[in-house]
Amino acid sequence: MRVPEAATIEVPRPADFDEFWAESLAACPELEPSFEYAPGLSTDTVAVYDVRYTSYQGVRVAAWYTTPRDGAAPFPGLVTIPGYISEPDVPRHWSELGYAALAVAPRGKLRSNAVFNPGYPGLLTHNIVDHHTYGYRGFYLDVVRAVDVLLDRSEVDATRIGLQGSSQGGGLGITTAALRPETIACVSAGAPYLCGIMAATRLTHSYPYEEITEYLRMHPDHAPLVAETVSYYDGINFAPKVRAPVMIYLGMEDDVCPPETGFAVHRALPGEHPLHTYPRCGHHAGLPRVMTVVEEFLAEHLKPGVKA
Amino acid sequence: MSFDSYWDAVDDELGRLPARPVLEPVPSRTTEDYTFYDVWLTSAGPYRIFGYLSVPSGPGPFPALLETPRYGSVNQVPHHNERLRYVVFAVTHRGQRRADTPFAAAYPGLYTHGIESPESYVYRGIVADCLRGAEFLLSQSEIDRAGVIGDDLALITAARRPGFTALRVADPLFYRVLDRRPEELADHLGAHPSAGVQETLSYFDPVRHAPKVGATTLLAADDESWYEPLTSALPDAVVYPLTHEDAADNNGLDAWLAGRLGVEPMTRFVP
Repeated sequence: MRVPEAATIEVPRPADFDEFWAESLAACPELEPSFEYAPGLSTDTVAVYDVRYTSYQGVRVAAWYTTPRDGAAPFPGLVTIPGYISEPDVPRHWSELGYAALAVAPRGKLRSNAVFNPGYPGLLTHNIVDHHTYGYRGFYLDVVRAVDVLLDRSEVDATRIGLQGSSQGGGLGITTAALRPETIACVSAGAPYLCGIMAATRLTHSYPYEEITEYLRMHPDHAPLVAETVSYYDGINFAPKVRAPVMIYLGMEDDVCPPETGFAVHRALPGEHPLHTYPRCGHHAGLPRVMTVVEEFLAEHLKPGVKA
Repeated sequence: MSFDSYWDAVDDELGRLPARPVLEPVPSRTTEDYTFYDVWLTSAGPYRIFGYLSVPSGPGPFPALLETPRYGSVNQVPHHNERLRYVVFAVTHRGQRRADTPFAAAYPGLYTHGIESPESYVYRGIVADCLRGAEFLLSQSEIDRAGVIGDDLALITAARRPGFTALRVADPLFYRVLDRRPEELADHLGAHPSAGVQETLSYFDPVRHAPKVGATTLLAADDESWYEPLTSALPDAVVYPLTHEDAADNNGLDAWLAGRLGVEPMTRFVP
C-alpha cells in the first residue's frame, strides 16, 4: 500500500546546476517577437494574436496571445503551458476573466516544430545522455522566454505575471518561476511532471515516464548518464529558487505523475504553499472542479480587473 | 447522397484498396509478456496510416482491443496493462503524428477541415482509417473476441464492422454538436456561415449509426439525460455514471470491459 505523502524522493543536485542554467539563459538570443492579429479566432470580447518569437539556438517558437477588449490596461499577464502530448489551446477563456494570456507552444509542438521535432513519444529521451544537448533544454527556455514576451508588452503589468498549467505545464511552471524568480507573481501547478523523474519511472508503467524505461531497456549501461542528465531538469532541484506562491494540486492515484513526486516538489519549495489533494483521482488531479480553485488562486495574486 | 450510400461508398473504396500491412517489431517496447510492433496500413484516399500493435506472449487465443484515435495530434501508446491482457491495436488517423505525411492536421483546425461538404470532410477519411484498423485487428489469428474503445469513432466503427462484442464510448465528438458548439465549430460558423455544415455533420451523428451497433455498449456520461437519445438508439447499452474522480472512473471502465472480454480488471495506479 503506497503512502504518497510519506515517500522520500531525493534528487542529487549537480554542483554546477545554477551555472548551467545561467549560461543557458545567457545564450538566448533577442526575442524579435511578431504579433499577427487573428480575426477568425477573435471574438467580440477577446482579441487573438498569432505570436512568434526567437528562443534558444535561434528556434522560432509559436504562441497564441489573447487580450480582453474591455477593461483598461495594464492587464495581469498569464502564461499557460501545455501538457506533454497536447497542443496549446487559444487562451480566450483567460482573457474573458481579464488576463493578457500567452499560450506557448514550445519547440516540438506542431506550430514550433520546423527544426526540432523529436515526436511523442520521443521528447523525454531526446539526447538524454547529455544535459548540454538534452531536448528539454530549449523547451524549458522557450517557456522562460514566453514570460519575457509578456514583459515586452505595454498592456501587461510586469508586476502581475503568473504561470498556469497541469502535468508538463505544472512542472514547467515551477522551473520557469525558478529561472525568473524576480518576475513571476504566482504559479498554479497541477499534477506536476518532470519532478522526481527517475523515481517516477519506478512507480509507474504509464507514459511519458515509460519512455525512460524503454530507453534503458535498450541501453541499460546509460542509466548513470540518464540520471545525471535529468537531475539538471528535475523540478525538485529548481524548487528552492522559487520566490512566488505556488499552488499545487494532486490526484492521489495519479498513474502518470505519481503523487509521491508532487509531494516531494511541494516540500522542496521554500515557505508555505497551498496544496490540494484529490482522493480517487488520477492525472486529472481534481479536474474539472479544481479549476474553480485555480481561478480563485490566480485572481487572488494577479487581481484581474483591478488597475495597477 | 443518402446516409447509407455515403457510408457504403467508404466501404467500397476500402474494399478496392488492399491494406498491405507492414509490421516492424519494436524491441524497446517488447518484454517477456508481449511483443510490440509499429504498423503501417493503406486506407481510403489512398493514404498510408499508422498504428501500434501489441500481442501477448503465449499460445492464445487472446481477446482483442481496438483503440480508436483521440482528438489531438498525438495518440497514446497502448498501456502496459492493455498489452498484458489483449491483442491491442491503436489506430493513428491521417493527419496525426506518425501519419502526417502528406497531410498534417492543425489544432485547432482539424474538426472543421473540409466541413463544407460530406465528400470533402476530413472525418470521412478518418472514419475509414478506423474501419481499416478494425479490419486489420479482426484479421489477426491470435484473437477470439474483440472490443473497441474511444469516442464516437469507436461507435461508428462498431456499427460498420460486426465482430466486436463490446463497445466503450466516452466524450463523443459529434453528438448533439450543434447544440453545444465546440469552439472550433463556433469559430468556423462565425467566419463561414453555411447550411452545408449541418448536413455534413449529420452523416457523423452517432445516433444515426447507433442502431447498427451489435456490441454490448457502455457509455460513460456525467449527465444521463443528455445522452438519452443516444442510449435509446443503441440496441444494448448501459450508462457508466462518471464521477470525475478519474482514477476511480478508469477502474470502473476497465472492469466493465475486462468482464466482457474475459480477462481480469487492472488498475494503472500500481498498488
